[in-house]
Amino acid sequence: MEQKASAVDLDEIVLRYRPVVSFKVKKSLGSQTPDWEDVVNEIITQVIEKVQNGEFRGESSIGTFIYTITSRRIIDFIRQKTRVLKEAPEPAPWPDPCEDAEARERSRILAEAIKRLKPKFKEVLELYYYQELSRNEVAERLGISPRRVSERINYAQKLLRKMIKK
Amino acid sequence: MKKCPFESQIDDYLLNRLEGGDKEAFEEHYFNCQRCFRLMEERNELISAVKTRGAWIFEPEPDAEKKVLLPTFEKVFSYFTPRQWATVAAAAAVLLVAVFGVLPRFKGAPPQFVLSESEVVRGASLTLMSPVIDTAVAPAYFEWKSLGEDVEYKLSLYNSGLIWTATTRENRISIPEEIRANMTAGQKFAWQVRAYSSRGTLIAVSSRVEFQIKPAE
Repeated sequence: MEQKASAVDLDEIVLRYRPVVSFKVKKSLGSQTPDWEDVVNEIITQVIEKVQNGEFRGESSIGTFIYTITSRRIIDFIRQKTRVLKEAPEPAPWPDPCEDAEARERSRILAEAIKRLKPKFKEVLELYYYQELSRNEVAERLGISPRRVSERINYAQKLLRKMIKK
Repeated sequence: MKKCPFESQIDDYLLNRLEGGDKEAFEEHYFNCQRCFRLMEERNELISAVKTRGAWIFEPEPDAEKKVLLPTFEKVFSYFTPRQWATVAAAAAVLLVAVFGVLPRFKGAPPQFVLSESEVVRGASLTLMSPVIDTAVAPAYFEWKSLGEDVEYKLSLYNSGLIWTATTRENRISIPEEIRANMTAGQKFAWQVRAYSSRGTLIAVSSRVEFQIKPAE
């Protein structure tokens, strides 16, 4: 699992970890925070510098190394903003899908596919994700087992994958 | 392929149900596991679509009702001959005259509701069901106990002042996305429902229930 520092390919780091770092930053700060992309760029730059300076010695995996840098930078960012604004930026519970045209289009296609699902899948998605009931509450409401709730969600996801690929 | 034990935590993480060490362990894991990260991105898109377009996705489809009703209607229509239909229509007309023309003359006085200055109705109670406690995110709908058929409900949502009002004949109403978008963490809200009879008479007023969208930790 652990990767030797000498074997680290910087291009691969940027390619593989930019989406992961972006996800974590947007989840923590909210994608409506205008600075989130700057924070991601700073983190990637920091990672590259630290690897080049030999600070990554392969004691942990490169993923854990980048996660640690990401978490620290996010905490610093919130502290800075808190000092300036007297309050932390409001984190979005999930990244906004409407941040660019492509994502907006993907979200629209996905929403249309969900609408076409059979009622037994739609009702599970509505209760579990839209109304945010717990798995047990959904199970109780529909008279099925909690395990069945998970199965229906996973199957719905599988169906949606197929519908979108068509 | 063997399922990764962290896979089952994807939903909890995205719905902000993981806390402290569990959350950190999960985050560290997806920095190391491409498969879990890919699954999480896919699930996140699903949740985002549901959250942002849920009102549209889950609205009842009028077409579905039509599809069910149309064959039934055709079946019933072909059940009688035109002459039989004429008889049925005449019988229905007589019935209508009896119901709307004659019976109201024997009907007692409408129920009297005693209203206080603040419009509180004594004689019928309206119970609010959801949300009645603080919530983690802006609620997707309001729900109250039904007072039966032919009742129109008027819901009012307050923050520092009235921010939204809507009427419905159901005992539940979805909150429009544009209103939900402005209901952010830390704010306090209150909501109240008034019920009106088909003649427009106020028949019940609920208490005003307060809830807060809990600030993120």
